[in-house]
Amino acid sequence: MSSSATGTSRCAACRNQRRRCPTDCIFSPHFPSTDPERFDAVHRIYGASKVAKMLEEIPPEMRGPAANALHFEAKCRIRDPVYGCVGIISTLNEEIRDTGTELAKLRARVAFLASGAQERQLGQDYTIVDDHWTEQQQIGNVVL
Amino acid sequence: MGGNGNGNSPCASCKLLRRRCAKDCIFAPYFPSDDPQKFAIVHKVFGASNIGKMLQEIPVHQRADAVSSLAYEATARVRDPVYGCVGAISYLQSQVSQLQMQLALAHAEILSIQMQQENPAQGFTDSGDENASEYLNCGNLHAECLSFPSPSSMVDSQFS
Repeated sequence: MSSSATGTSRCAACRNQRRRCPTDCIFSPHFPSTDPERFDAVHRIYGASKVAKMLEEIPPEMRGPAANALHFEAKCRIRDPVYGCVGIISTLNEEIRDTGTELAKLRARVAFLASGAQERQLGQDYTIVDDHWTEQQQIGNVVL
Repeated sequence: MGGNGNGNSPCASCKLLRRRCAKDCIFAPYFPSDDPQKFAIVHKVFGASNIGKMLQEIPVHQRADAVSSLAYEATARVRDPVYGCVGAISYLQSQVSQLQMQLALAHAEILSIQMQQENPAQGFTDSGDENASEYLNCGNLHAECLSFPSPSSMVDSQFS
């Protein structure tokens, strides 16, 4: 994956930057020449020098995951120039809120069923339709 | 909102970059001089020229949102230099998985209670438990689903 100093096989970053790829190139382990799109994406969003600076500040064993995360975020930003990966975070937060609400409803229903409450004593009938509770004036069995 | 170009109050970006803040400065509406930290952090991660380029490619009415999301990403990257926002996404995905599992368990519990109420004489019957466990299996709640994806695996699978 890494490139040699002879210049015969430069990494994607050095190829993009049109320069010699040294043996200690910080990009070459993470931006191979076989995947030029990967470096193009991070270069477009962050720029080569920013990426290099970020990688230099990270321990070598964590640079791989960091490069992957930068690539992921860059791709998100290219797909969605306004929100980037923050759009995904918003969607997940909404999903957590909606699922939490649904879970609370179900737990209330579990508590209700477990308590063995008798709806006929209340004179009302609770009917569940598509997860929505509606009241009906009906004397009879509980419809579930 | 931001700085202006008449020389009295340059915006935060022009102040940091030590240049004259033009009247049509693209940064001025979104990086006011009273919040220098905001521009400092996006500049640290993305660079001023990249920010300017991105803003130019976005309609004016969406630039404020874009700046907010860029600031959010930059803050996340400074806090977590390795995973940045990807760490937050991974955590939230695990939260979603946990909630969905609890949802399936609640459904199974309801089913179990209903079966008990329909067959009170039998109490905890094998068929009731089998139906409840079948519900769980149909929800694919196998052991491997309880191991939440790491940020690395999430990133690897996202764009494959």
